[in-house]
Amino acid sequence: MPSRPAGRRYIVWEGCAVTDKRKSQTAGIAGGVINGLFGGGGGMVLLPLLSKWRKLEARSSFATCVAIIFPMCCVSTAVYLWEVRPALSTVLPYLAGGVAGGLIGGLTFEKVPVRFLKVIFGLFLLYGGVRYLLW
Amino acid sequence: MVAWVAPCLFALATGVLSSWGVGGGTLLLVCMNLFLGVEHREAQAINLLFFLPTAGISLFFHRKNGFLDKEVWRQAAIPGTIASLAGALLATAVDVSLLRRPFGVFLLYSGASMLLSARKGAR
Repeated sequence: MPSRPAGRRYIVWEGCAVTDKRKSQTAGIAGGVINGLFGGGGGMVLLPLLSKWRKLEARSSFATCVAIIFPMCCVSTAVYLWEVRPALSTVLPYLAGGVAGGLIGGLTFEKVPVRFLKVIFGLFLLYGGVRYLLW
Repeated sequence: MVAWVAPCLFALATGVLSSWGVGGGTLLLVCMNLFLGVEHREAQAINLLFFLPTAGISLFFHRKNGFLDKEVWRQAAIPGTIASLAGALLATAVDVSLLRRPFGVFLLYSGASMLLSARKGAR
């Protein structure tokens, strides 16, 4: 417990202390709610929170983030598939493209200037956001 | 034929981008919904399913290379998974138009934070 200035009385409830554990849990819950509600995008919340609060090295925080989102996606996928039941023929082209894309991306990871792409797709997401808000 | 070429190409492109750390999990979702005319909830289901194999493969390598922080994982993954389950149950129970505006706001936030990370980032 950190020492308190003399002459003032504080009410301290141990259960309220913001520990590293609390921070991780809060980040996890925030990412989880987004991931479940919107069907993805949990990392957009989780990654900045974790790297800010837990001071992990960049690659480690990215990897840990994916590992945290993985079980989240498993349960929300189960819920969505149960409710929506998309046809296999609709799903397969996306999965095939995605796996191939992931492999290509992994092999070329070190050679690409990502900054330029981030600007383009950041603008694209802004455009998407405006469209969702207006239509 | 054309019916599966466009989805495959979109998925390929977003798969490459997300493994470079560009776009997060929302790029494909937006493409499917706005350009390919996939119904929003179906797009969410496909988007989630799409993440699993790619993430599974990359996690295998991350774990092997020792990039995973096990303590942080344990603390965040358990409450996060419960929260995600609750979010998914809520999202599939309410009317789909109700989530449209919140999702729009979330996309604005994502786009803005991606532009910011491009400004700060070294690569």
